[in-house]
Amino acid sequence: MALALTALILPAHPGAAISLAAGQILAAMNFFFLEKLVKLFTEAAISKSPAEASLLRARLLLFAGIKVSVVYGGAFALTRWNALELWPLVGGLSLPLVALFFKAIMLAVSSGPENLLRRAPSTAGSSGNLAKPAAFILLAGALLFAAPSANASKPLIALPHATADSATTHSGASDSAAIATGAAHTADGGGTHGEGAKGGEAHGGGGVAHLPNWITILNDFFPKNGVIHWMHENEYLVFAWLAGVVFLGITWFGMRKPTMVPGPIQNAIEWMVESMEDVCGGMLGKHLPKYFPYIITVFFYVLTMNLIGIIPGFKSSTSTLDVTLALALITFLYVQFTGLRNLGPLGYIDHLAGSPRDVVGFIMLPVMIPVHILGELAKPVSLSCRLFGNIFGEDTLIVVFVGATALCLKASLVALAVPPMLGISALFMLLQALTSIVQALIFALLATVYLYMMLPHEEHAHGNQEHAHGSSH
Amino acid sequence: MDFAATLGLGLPIGIGLAAIGSGIGIGFLGQGAMGAMGRQPDVLPKLQVAMIIGFGFAEALTIYAFVTMFFLQGKIQ
Repeated sequence: MALALTALILPAHPGAAISLAAGQILAAMNFFFLEKLVKLFTEAAISKSPAEASLLRARLLLFAGIKVSVVYGGAFALTRWNALELWPLVGGLSLPLVALFFKAIMLAVSSGPENLLRRAPSTAGSSGNLAKPAAFILLAGALLFAAPSANASKPLIALPHATADSATTHSGASDSAAIATGAAHTADGGGTHGEGAKGGEAHGGGGVAHLPNWITILNDFFPKNGVIHWMHENEYLVFAWLAGVVFLGITWFGMRKPTMVPGPIQNAIEWMVESMEDVCGGMLGKHLPKYFPYIITVFFYVLTMNLIGIIPGFKSSTSTLDVTLALALITFLYVQFTGLRNLGPLGYIDHLAGSPRDVVGFIMLPVMIPVHILGELAKPVSLSCRLFGNIFGEDTLIVVFVGATALCLKASLVALAVPPMLGISALFMLLQALTSIVQALIFALLATVYLYMMLPHEEHAHGNQEHAHGSSH
Repeated sequence: MDFAATLGLGLPIGIGLAAIGSGIGIGFLGQGAMGAMGRQPDVLPKLQVAMIIGFGFAEALTIYAFVTMFFLQGKIQ
């Protein structure tokens, strides 16, 4: 994240980028020495022999001296050196803290400490199942590829007028505004809007402002390049692919050599997979192994796409209805297919009719069938609109406050801009992390619930249904 | 009072009304879940999952209003 940010602003503002990198290196060194100190201190406190303790204490003093001289001396030298700018330095210093905060939030979301301590190496195989995620992502990519060309929902959101926010951020990107907001300029606003309209469609910008990402910045630098123009027009698709690649890469990297005592990445992946397995296992029961790969794939894919939007310069693919609708349609088709296969054609129609078993049920048949069909059709709509609305709304909230910060900075109201405005947008970014996780969880859990409703239940399990289910195994 | 003015007045009010409903729903859900968790801490993970799903359903109603607002916002000229 930090490297991406530095690389992002390097071509336009080299001084700011170097300051940011310096701040990050300083913070990293601070953490490194702090960790050494704490380790030595605890070791000295619990060590048995006095000689060893004194040796450890000497090393402790040595490390403390190095830390003070390097970190604080470095900080002093950096503030004296005029080539560095103040705000990027502060930003670089605080980035690891923000990352730590995110980690703490993620921990708090999980259900208590005992889940963290518990390890089950036997499930290492279940998350190493890479073939199904890959196939699913390819399928999603193919569907998404069809969606932007049809261009069904974009004209609804692309509005003709540009807001004051986007226009001002575009023109007046001072250095500190660029770094403090992690964004150079809202390029989708006034400036490039004419080009987009000339190209046949008013893409993206306008009434709903977007933060720029590296594709829009590339498009600003190379407006004539065909590949970049295509990427700019289909940026959701590009970021969806990127999320898939990131997710596959992390999974491959963590599960490359699964061991009995897992390393950090393997442990994290196993913990997440196991928590989802627990939750879904409570609902699906013995059907879990069959449907779990799909559920966990949807969960991780949506989670990656949501969380990638927090990184400055990237965009959540799920903040467009194209992507969420494609995901919801895949889920819907999978659920219907599961219902047809498990219940059989007659059982499926019986399920759609509300399983009438008495006279009243058969009398109500003409009413129940349309109601149930409508209920089935409402599932993808509600799934896609929920995910899209949450992520998009959160993004818009952050854009509005970042735009307000940039406005204040442009009017040289730094005292007003940075503490309250930036604090508010940072708070909303924490909220965005929470929303991303919760929405991915809800998407996966609702897919589980829909699958569960399509499975033959134990309460009114009939002979033929049980038989059909048994033969399908 | 023309179409645009009606829309400009109605959209924020609509979102506010939807948010009131969702807020009441989430409040009841949270109250029930917290009470149940306090009485039976053993079933805490199950309750949390059910609570989050319920939050999702209740929250979705406001989100629908929100999405509708974004779709209709362009008609305010």
